[in-house]
Amino acid sequence: MELGRLEYLQALVTEFQVTDSTGKKRRCSLALSVSSISSHPRPFSFSLAEAKEQVLANLANFAYDPSNYEYLRQLQVLDLFLDMLTEDNETLVEFAMGGLCNLCLDKTNKEYILEANGVEPIINCLSSSNEETVVSAVTTLMFLTTPRSRAQTTALPVVECMLRFSLSANTRLSNLASIFLQDYCSPPQVEEARNLSRHTAVGIPLPKD
Amino acid sequence: KMAAGTSGGPGAPCRHHAQLGACESRAKYREGWRPRAVKCVYTINLESRYILIQGVPALGVMKELVEQFALYGAIEEYHALDEYPAEQFTEVYLIKFKKLQCARVAKKKMDERSFFGSLLHVCYAPEFETVQETREKLQDRRKYIAKATNQRDCFMLKKVEGPKKTASNNSEHDCPCSTSGSSIASNWDPSCFTNSPGVSHNTAYAAGNQNQSLLTPPHYDNNCAEISGYFGQNTSLTPSVHPGVCTPPASLMQHRKVPACNGIDRFMPRTTHLQERKRKREEGNKFSLIRTSEDNTEVVIGPQLPEIPKVDMDDESLNTSATLIRNKLKEVADSVSTSVEKPESSSAKPVLKQRRRI
Repeated sequence: MELGRLEYLQALVTEFQVTDSTGKKRRCSLALSVSSISSHPRPFSFSLAEAKEQVLANLANFAYDPSNYEYLRQLQVLDLFLDMLTEDNETLVEFAMGGLCNLCLDKTNKEYILEANGVEPIINCLSSSNEETVVSAVTTLMFLTTPRSRAQTTALPVVECMLRFSLSANTRLSNLASIFLQDYCSPPQVEEARNLSRHTAVGIPLPKD
Repeated sequence: KMAAGTSGGPGAPCRHHAQLGACESRAKYREGWRPRAVKCVYTINLESRYILIQGVPALGVMKELVEQFALYGAIEEYHALDEYPAEQFTEVYLIKFKKLQCARVAKKKMDERSFFGSLLHVCYAPEFETVQETREKLQDRRKYIAKATNQRDCFMLKKVEGPKKTASNNSEHDCPCSTSGSSIASNWDPSCFTNSPGVSHNTAYAAGNQNQSLLTPPHYDNNCAEISGYFGQNTSLTPSVHPGVCTPPASLMQHRKVPACNGIDRFMPRTTHLQERKRKREEGNKFSLIRTSEDNTEVVIGPQLPEIPKVDMDDESLNTSATLIRNKLKEVADSVSTSVEKPESSSAKPVLKQRRRI
């Protein structure tokens, strides 16, 4: 059973990686993987991007279950998630961010992400216009906060951003931002950010509707 | 669209409420390529004890609806959402489960199910959470991961000076949680995170509390918060448990012990459940860095005791049953040990099973 699962995950990741290579190759392998798993006779159309999204979504969902972590690490899915954070495709970013949010509480995963300088791209996700991406990023930053990393995860621009999020009409976002400020930031930090935002407009913008 | 644009708070329709078609659950492996399978990633932010039920036929069936959902776990609150947009002749309801796990199962089972001739659409509604509820949700997730991966977050154990006091300092107190006798605790039982003697944290916060309260008024829902002893919010550290202060009728507040049996039967045959857990255990053992030896080779001579692995079955009703069986066996074993042992029964196969000498 373990091997079966590993192979399945491997197949997913292979599918993904292959879709990243040159055009001709890409289409070929994609057609193959589709026909092998399709149970519907009628034809349908989907794009390369959709296939990538589906695979990433699956991996991100697997990342919710701790029993998969060892496999995911072996398959370097953590790196995959981190790489996807800088993609243009908003959906890929959303799913990758969700995947990271799901697995970053595990100590080994957390250390890996921190070592790989993952905090920076995650902070950048705070400016995404995608609600899920932002929400996942806020939570991930909280989960990644350690004595060593908190200087980075609770840097001034981040705190300032959270201040603004905490005032959002979006309850999910404001709740998470409030928790961030209350539980992960010191009062002086929050005060400093408040003072800063009073005087300047610099900072991370709120997600657009 | 996002609620941010409207003035409405929790009542406003949010993007994630939209019917997404075949939205696979995280545990469901791809069974076949569904052409319009909409991708959906489940994170702790999306899941919630609150679930929204759309498509309920407007036939005055609220009672039946709630009874149906109560099969999956204790319900804290429920009411119709009159302001929520609904298709003609249908209503929208909000149900708040006591445990996230129950909400998860209920959603999975009841979504796309026919109810009085109408197809229900069930989704999470995290936007109804209070700050404290969200906080607890995240903490439970922390504890669950720590327990599932046999880890203690190094951050939690270190005494960090200053403001660091993320709540799951009670990951230190996980042990009493899982072994406490009467608490048939599922992994998500928030009663585990109790009076943490982490008093040291609060000192740093005491001064800060006033400032923080200016920032965001904590949506402190006293009624239904199971544990309110969260440092940043309170001046006192003692958790206050509010038994049954909530609105729903007492009949719905009963523990899952009775109705859950019926509910569980619907999901999967019990043997499959047990086999699944056994398989997971074996998998976990295979890959865990810290091997938990089960001492299979220990040879003790005596009456043969059945192997009952003391695992958390991840499910309250199964845990209840397991505990009852365990206790019963213990009872029986104790009584057997006082009687005279026949020679035949203590013979052979000493290797795998544990035995006791009378």
